Amino acid sequence: MAEYSTDDNTAEATHKMTRAERRQARRMRRFDNPWNNPKLFWGAGLLLGIIALGILGRLFWDLELVFTGSGMLKLPPIGFENLRGQEGTLANPLGTDGAGRDILALIIIGAPNSLFVGLLASLIGMSAGIMLGFTAGFVGGRTDDVIRVLSDVMITIPPLLILVVFQASFGDVSLTMMALLIAGFVWQSPTRLIRAQVLSMRESGYVQMARLSGASTFHIMFKEMLPNLVPYLFGSFIANVTTSIVTAVGLEVLGLGPQRIPTLGRTIYEAINAGALIQNLWWWWGIPTILLAVMFIGLLLINLGLDEVSNPRLRKLS
Amino acid sequence: MTLTKRLLGASAVALLAATGALAQDVAREDTVIFDLDRTIKDPSNFNWFTPGTKRMHGAHQAMWEPLFILNYGTGELDPWLATGFEANDDSTEFTISLREGVEWSDGAAFTADDVTFTVNMALTNEEISSREAATIRAQVASVEKIDDLTVKFTLNNPNPRFMVENFGVRIFGSFLIMPEHIWNGQDPATFAFSSPIGTGPYTLTSAATNRAIWDRNDDWWGAKTGFMDLPEPLRLIWLESGGEESRAQLMATNQLDAAQNVSVGTFEAIRAQNSNVTAWYDDFPYAAADPCARQLEINTTVAPWDNANLRRAVAMIIDRTQIANVAAEGATVPSRTMFAEYGSMAPFIDAVVEAGLDLPARGDMEAGKAMIEAEGWSMNGDGVYEKDGEELAVKIHVNSASTEYTRTIDVIVEQLNRAGIKASSVPVENGVFWGEVLPFGAYEMSYSWLSCGSVNEPWASMGRYTVKDVVPVGERSPGFNNTARWDGPEAEAYSEIVDGMANLPLGDEAIPGMVAEAYQHLDAGMPFIPLVQSFKLLPMNETYWTGWPSNDNYYNHPFFWWNHTHQIIHNLEKAG
Repeated sequence: MAEYSTDDNTAEATHKMTRAERRQARRMRRFDNPWNNPKLFWGAGLLLGIIALGILGRLFWDLELVFTGSGMLKLPPIGFENLRGQEGTLANPLGTDGAGRDILALIIIGAPNSLFVGLLASLIGMSAGIMLGFTAGFVGGRTDDVIRVLSDVMITIPPLLILVVFQASFGDVSLTMMALLIAGFVWQSPTRLIRAQVLSMRESGYVQMARLSGASTFHIMFKEMLPNLVPYLFGSFIANVTTSIVTAVGLEVLGLGPQRIPTLGRTIYEAINAGALIQNLWWWWGIPTILLAVMFIGLLLINLGLDEVSNPRLRKLS
Repeated sequence: MTLTKRLLGASAVALLAATGALAQDVAREDTVIFDLDRTIKDPSNFNWFTPGTKRMHGAHQAMWEPLFILNYGTGELDPWLATGFEANDDSTEFTISLREGVEWSDGAAFTADDVTFTVNMALTNEEISSREAATIRAQVASVEKIDDLTVKFTLNNPNPRFMVENFGVRIFGSFLIMPEHIWNGQDPATFAFSSPIGTGPYTLTSAATNRAIWDRNDDWWGAKTGFMDLPEPLRLIWLESGGEESRAQLMATNQLDAAQNVSVGTFEAIRAQNSNVTAWYDDFPYAAADPCARQLEINTTVAPWDNANLRRAVAMIIDRTQIANVAAEGATVPSRTMFAEYGSMAPFIDAVVEAGLDLPARGDMEAGKAMIEAEGWSMNGDGVYEKDGEELAVKIHVNSASTEYTRTIDVIVEQLNRAGIKASSVPVENGVFWGEVLPFGAYEMSYSWLSCGSVNEPWASMGRYTVKDVVPVGERSPGFNNTARWDGPEAEAYSEIVDGMANLPLGDEAIPGMVAEAYQHLDAGMPFIPLVQSFKLLPMNETYWTGWPSNDNYYNHPFFWWNHTHQIIHNLEKAG
């Protein structure tokens, strides 16, 4: 058996296991706690990093630097030189944009803002989706028809088009307002998906049993069925956050977001508008882009992790 | 909006490539491509009396010629379709001599009949609204033909500036003469003139929303009569480039020969990639002084900005030096008065400065705040002034066509917010800004240059804010005059002095004193707030064409969207 031994000394010490047995044991451990998932950790870590940037930045950095004209124009990050031969300084470690705003201050405020819009829009959208999806699936009949048709119609409307018109006519909007507008376009797919899940779950034994024992509709929907959908809902929520952020950034990059509140999208918009590409001011558009990428990778990892949590077949064996 | 423009720009390039492939007759080195900073909303309409992009897409640079062109270098009127003029002693009658042998591009002769016909059209049709037509209507009593090449104007009031103001391309355009044989019997308010003709050396080949193409007419009258040689370019294109970035990329890759205003940083970046790109000056600040100094327009009918003291407080708070440094990247200077800082304007600027009415280069926030507080406003918990539960707020409409505009307003919004005024900007598309926002008073504050006009005397600018041009909000301000709708005792006192100034001959010794006197009322009323001087950094590409105007080659200024661009085109020479 020596040729099968590994560096797993403890296993060797207790009793000799076959390779198959060890694999089985590892597999069982993993089943013990499906939440113990590296993708989930990495994803959450990235997002928490951005939140930490927001919190620590607010504590340790002068946020007044975020306003127009607070520093020299177009300074590069430390260790780089811009086209005019100016070098980056400690006062603006990530450089400044074309209007003298500090990039570090911009991302300290802007990155959590983008995340906030995504979370808020998704939270509202999901809540509506859960309510409507459960109602449609469980109550059925006319209610189901109305909700289904409504969400089917909404799903065909491209949100960005409508939102561009909305925002353009509203003029300057607040972050919350933007989140609310976006929420109006992210409820329909959770509604449809949850409705489908509920329809199949409705026929399962424990629901039938609960119904027979006289539980109220509300009780069955939210006490019996909802807990079984939690991992799935989480996955859907995270996917929705991603969609909401993409939509929000899309609007901001078009210059339709809030004006005096820094966001990553607006920073990119201003960079493009002011000719940052040809002037090689890569830090102006590059740093916000990297942060957005980090945010999306984090969300994606969480989504993949949640998928594995809710679907054991995806959990790979080592 | 920007995305749309970007797409338009991209498709324009594709289109150009396509038309080039179709036509194939004009090579790139025979073509001059000018930058257009706006969309051509109605490309088949060439009725320049009506609002919209009807002239600056090549029509009045290549097709329609002016009678005279004011030469900014010499201060003289260079004759073009006319050869000269005479005025009577009190400047109430002007007799213009037209050039012999001028022809429309369809072969018909250009005569005094065309001039009297077009002027009469402007005189008798109240509904045509272009600035030049409105000015003619306000000044001219009658026009008569003396013979085929002589026209006599009789004015309502003495006006020594009549020629330069109306027919001399002093600012942007001139009163353009239209062919009588085509316009006769048409309603000038609605006629589209969709197959336009002119006297210029180019004719329209095609126009779309994002570009206009003009081809040389080798049968041009000027070459036949010996007035001038045919210009060298076979084809001219005005192309909507869509924003600073694409403008810069097109310039760097030689797909544009003359670009609209860019920032100093962008210009330096273009030059780093393409050493053939030049500007007015070889070195910083590169840019040419534009006669239209920048200002914050105010609608004086909207509360709380109908209070002159609040407007003066804003004027006090604004830090002009910061605007020059941040928005113009140091390429301009703060304005001291409403006037362009031209040497020819110095006597009038000095008069205002001596009277102590000039504006500070730096803002004085505390003084401004004290003025706001004196009007009964107090700071609330959010750091915003409040009175009777209303916050002191202002929306500033800004044309989104140039970084200069949006960034200036960003700076002002910031300064006002710091002082406790809740300011925000409202970016608007170029056409909407000029077509709907400014003329109808549909704004609280706005960024523009509507006092523009004076280059060698003060009246042209000052005369734009008199009470006779006040119209209610929602009605079109005549020729963009007094869009502030400034009225009341101060405005009346101001108007009286300025109207008196109008009748004095150029260079009269009393004028500087009158300027100072009128300026007191202007300062007290503050219907607009002068900000900074305007400098235009226009990249010009010498890869295919040389002979662009510059400080060393100063045959005239470089603003190639003006009616004087005929001179630029005639000066261009093929490179290499």
